[in-house]
Amino acid sequence: MKFTGDAVLHAPVDRVWSAILDPTVLVRTIPGCERLEATGENAYAMTVTAGVAAIKGTYSGSCALSDLDEHSSLMMKLQGAGAPGTIGADVAVGFVDGGDGTTTITYDADAVVGGMVGGVGQRMLSSVSRRMAGEFFANLDAVLTGTAATVAAPGAVAVGAPVTLSETPSGAAVFTAPARTGGVSSQDDLLKGIAVGAGLVLLGVLAGSLLGRRR
Amino acid sequence: MTTKLMGTPVQRVEDQRFLRGEGRYVDDIAVDGRTLHAAVLRSPHAHARIIDIDVDEVLDLDGVHAVWTYDDLTGPMAEPLPLLIPHPALTHGRTQYALARDEVNYVGEAIAFVVADDRYVAEDAVGLIKVSYEFLKPVVGIDNARAAQHLVHEDVPGNIGARLEQNVGDAPAAIAAAPHRLELDLTVERSACMPMEGRGTVARWDADIDRLQVWTSTQTSTGVRAAVAVKLGLDLGQVDVITPDVGGGFGVKIVHPWPEELLVPLAARALGRTVKFTEDRREHFISSAHERGQVHHVEVGFDDDGRLCGLDVEFWHDHGAYSPYGLIVPIITSTQLLGPYKPNNYRVVFESLYTNTVMVTPYRGAGRPQGCYTMERTMDAIAAYLGKDRAEVRAVNFIQPDEFPFDQGLIFQDGRELEYDSGDYPASLEKIKALVGWDEFPAYQAEMAAAGRQVGIGLACYVEGTGVGPYEGAHVHIETSGKVKVATGLTTQGQGHATVFAQLVADELGCRFEDVEVVTGDTRRMPYAVGTFASRAAVMSGSAIHLAAKRAKEKVLKIAADALEADESDLEIVAGVVSVKGSPGSSIDLGTVSVLSNPLRYAFDEASKAATQFSVGDPGRAPVPEGEEPGLEGKDFYSPERATFASGMHAVIVETDPLTAEITILKYAVVHDCGHLINPMIVEGQIHGGVAQGIGGALYERMAYDESGQLLNASFMDFLMPYVTEVPDGIDIDHLETPSPLNPLGIKGAGEAGVIPSAAVFASAIEDAEGFSITAMPISPSELFALRQQRAEEKS
Repeated sequence: MKFTGDAVLHAPVDRVWSAILDPTVLVRTIPGCERLEATGENAYAMTVTAGVAAIKGTYSGSCALSDLDEHSSLMMKLQGAGAPGTIGADVAVGFVDGGDGTTTITYDADAVVGGMVGGVGQRMLSSVSRRMAGEFFANLDAVLTGTAATVAAPGAVAVGAPVTLSETPSGAAVFTAPARTGGVSSQDDLLKGIAVGAGLVLLGVLAGSLLGRRR
Repeated sequence: MTTKLMGTPVQRVEDQRFLRGEGRYVDDIAVDGRTLHAAVLRSPHAHARIIDIDVDEVLDLDGVHAVWTYDDLTGPMAEPLPLLIPHPALTHGRTQYALARDEVNYVGEAIAFVVADDRYVAEDAVGLIKVSYEFLKPVVGIDNARAAQHLVHEDVPGNIGARLEQNVGDAPAAIAAAPHRLELDLTVERSACMPMEGRGTVARWDADIDRLQVWTSTQTSTGVRAAVAVKLGLDLGQVDVITPDVGGGFGVKIVHPWPEELLVPLAARALGRTVKFTEDRREHFISSAHERGQVHHVEVGFDDDGRLCGLDVEFWHDHGAYSPYGLIVPIITSTQLLGPYKPNNYRVVFESLYTNTVMVTPYRGAGRPQGCYTMERTMDAIAAYLGKDRAEVRAVNFIQPDEFPFDQGLIFQDGRELEYDSGDYPASLEKIKALVGWDEFPAYQAEMAAAGRQVGIGLACYVEGTGVGPYEGAHVHIETSGKVKVATGLTTQGQGHATVFAQLVADELGCRFEDVEVVTGDTRRMPYAVGTFASRAAVMSGSAIHLAAKRAKEKVLKIAADALEADESDLEIVAGVVSVKGSPGSSIDLGTVSVLSNPLRYAFDEASKAATQFSVGDPGRAPVPEGEEPGLEGKDFYSPERATFASGMHAVIVETDPLTAEITILKYAVVHDCGHLINPMIVEGQIHGGVAQGIGGALYERMAYDESGQLLNASFMDFLMPYVTEVPDGIDIDHLETPSPLNPLGIKGAGEAGVIPSAAVFASAIEDAEGFSITAMPISPSELFALRQQRAEEKS
C-alpha cells in the first residue's frame, strides 16, 4: 500500500539533513520514543510507546537508512512489532530546499500492517498518524528553530532532563529519552535520528491509510 | 395405546423457564468482562451525501478498539447487502451497504461501527464522530414518491422499484358490463413489529480452529449462516449460527443479514475478542424495518345480489429506502386480497415505491391485513350500496366447500399457483354469526341507541396461505438413556415449539412427552433449514418432525423385533417401552434399543457392556448390517408442493363515545380454521396475541414521519401499543377443522391469523356505529372526531 505526505520545517536543507540523522534529536522528538540503539551504520533498534486505545502499546522496531543522497533523498526500511500488531514499510524520503530558509520533507511509503492493529479502522489510524506526525514535526521544528529549550551538552537535549547516552555490552550507543518536558535542543550534527523519527511517524501514517484494506 | 397428545392443551414446557427469568437471549450470551461491545453511528438525515467522517476526537477516549466506516470494508463486505428475494418485476431492486458508502437514504442508516470495552464507551465514541453531509431532498410518503419530484435513488426513475400486474379474466370489461359499479380509495398507514427484544448479535472467533460462532436474534439461523460465510469469505463449515431464546420476531427478524450481523463477526475475527451488539429501542424504530403503508384504489362491478362480476385493484406500496426482501409484501396483498371469495374477473396491479424512510419487510400478516381490509371494505360498500346484510353479500361470493382445490389463477408469493387446498367458508360464517350474535345485533343496536349509546358491529373474513416451502427437516435421536433429542433448523420466538414438537414426537414414537427435548435454530444440530415465517413452523417442521420420528420408530421396531424375537407388526411402543401386544412381559425400553443399535468395542458402564460386539448381534453377520447405520436416529424432510390455506372470520362490536369519539371494544369473536390443532391452547394463545397486535394496528400504531423523514414517535413514550387494558377481557374463539390434504398431520399455520382482519373488522364496526364510511386505518379518537365534524359541515 502506497502512502505519501509532507511537512515544512523552518530551517535550510543542510540543517534539516543533519538533524534528521541525529539519534539524540530523534529520541526526543518521536512521540513515545523511549529508547534508540545504534545497531550499525545508519541502523537503529528502537522502542516506542504509541497509539491509542486498542492499538496503544510498546512497539519494538528497527530502522535502516540506505541510498543516502546528501541534502536530497534517502531510503528507509522500517520494521515494528508490538502486542497490538506489526508494521513494516519501505519509505522514500525527499528533502526540498524552499530557498527561503525552509525545507519540505516528503515521504513516499509502501507499507504492510498485520495483527490487531489492522482491526482498529482506517480512519482511526489516519487520525493517530496525523496526530503523531503533527507532534513529531512540531518537535523537530522547535529543535531547528531553536525555540525548544537549549541544553549545555550534545546528547542532552531537554532542560533538567538530559538524554542518557550509554553503551551496550557490544559497544553500541543507546539513547534513552528523559521524561518529556516539551521540545528538544537545536542539534544539527547528528541527522540520522530524524529519518528514523519520520519513519516512525510514518508507521502510524501509513498504517492509517491501509490497515482497513488488509483484513 | 397411550392417549394421543395431538389436539390436547398440553402445558407449555418453556414457560417455567421464561416466567422465572431464566430465558437466555442473545444479550445473555458472553456476559463476561472480556466481551467487547458495539454501537453504531446512524444517519440523522433522511437523504444526504456523506462528505467527510472525522474520528479525531475518538482518540482521546479510552477503551475504543475499532471505528469502522465503509472504507474499512473489503471484498464482498464492500458490496451492497444481498437482495434476498429477487423477482423479475423488481426491475430496480436496491439494497444498502453494511456501512453507508457515500449516501444515506433514511434516518437510522448505519454509517460507522464502533467497538469498545463496553456499550457506554462505544456510545460515547459514536457521539464524538463528526460527519459532514450535503443535504438532498427527502422523499417521504406514498404521494411524494408517486409525484417523483425528487428521487430516492438517482438511477430509479419515478421512485418505482417494481410494477407487477396479474389478471384473471377481463376485469375492466366485466366491471363495465356489471349492473352496479363502485369505486373506493383506501389507505393503511405504516406500523412495525416491535418485538420486546430488538435485534442482537454476539460473535466469537476461535483462531485455533479457524471457526466462527455467532449467536443472533433471528428468524433464520441457516440464512444468517450462509450470508455471514459469503460476506466474510468463510466456508459454510467454518460458521455456526445459534439462535437462543428470541423475545419476539413478528417478521422483522426474518431479514438478514443486518449490517450488525456481519460487522460483529467481522470485528470478532479482526480483534480476536468476543463482540456483542444489542439494539436499543430507538434503533429498532429507525433502523430495523416497518410495514403496512399502502394506498389502494378499487373498482368493482357486481350484480343485484352483490355477487362480484369484476374486481380491479391498483395499489401503491411504500417499501422504504431499500428492497432487500423483494416484493413479498405487495405480492401477498395482491393475491391474498381475494380471501374466501371468487372475484370471477380480477385485475391487480401494484407499484412498489422508494421513499427516504426505513425499509419495509414482512410484519406478521405480511400484506394480508391490507389486502383483507381492501376486500372487506369493498364487501361492506357493496352491501351498503344494495342495502343488504353484510354477511349475506359475503356469503354469495364464497368459494363453496365442494369447489376445493380452488385455483384462483394467480401466482402466490412462493412462485406457485394460488390454489386453495381446503376450507369451509359457509360453515365459518354460520359459526361467527352465532358467536358474535350477528342476527340479534340490530335489536341490541336500537336498544343502545335509545339509551343514547352508539354501537356498531363489524365482520371480516380472510384466507391465509401458510406453510410455504421450500422445506424443513428434522432429526430425532434416541439416546441410551431413553431420552429423545429432537432438532429442527427453523427458529423459535416464543411459539411453544418445544411443546408442540414434543407432542408430535411422543405421539409418533410412543415415548414419554417429558423425555423429548427439542432444539431449534442451531446450525450445528440441523444445518439444512429455511426459517420461521409465513405461519410455517407447525406445518413445515411439525411435518418433518413427524416424519423423522416415524423413521426412528421404524428402526426401533426392527431392532426390538430382533431382540424380542417377535414380528414388528406385533409390537407397540407405549411410554417409552416396546412390548409385544398382549404380552406385556415381553418388552424392552427405548434406551436399551438404543444401546443395541450401536455395537461397541469399548464398555464404559453396565449398559454399554451389554452392547459390546461380544454381546449383541449375530456372529454370522456384520455388526452393523448393510444398509443400516449405528445409533438410533431418524432424519427426514418435508417439502410440500404448495402452501396450505388456513382461513378465519372475525367479528367485533364497538362502542363509540358520542362526545369524545373514544372507541371501546364490547365483544370480539374469532372463528378460526387451521386444520387439525396440535395444541388448542397454543393456537388460542396465537390468536389472542394476534388480535392484540391487530387492535394496535387498527386503533393505535402508526409511524409518524415528518416531511423531512424524521420519525417523530420513535419511542414507547410516543408510539402507542395496546396494553392489556386495551385488549378485550375475553376473546370468544371457535374452531373449525378442515384438515389440509397437503401434509401428514392435516395442519395449517396459525401464527399470523389473529392480526390479519383487524383493520378490516374495526373499520366495518366503526362505520356501522357512525353511519359514515371509514377509508383510512388506523383510526384514533381524534381522527374519528375530525371525521364527524367534517361530516357535520358537509350536511349543513
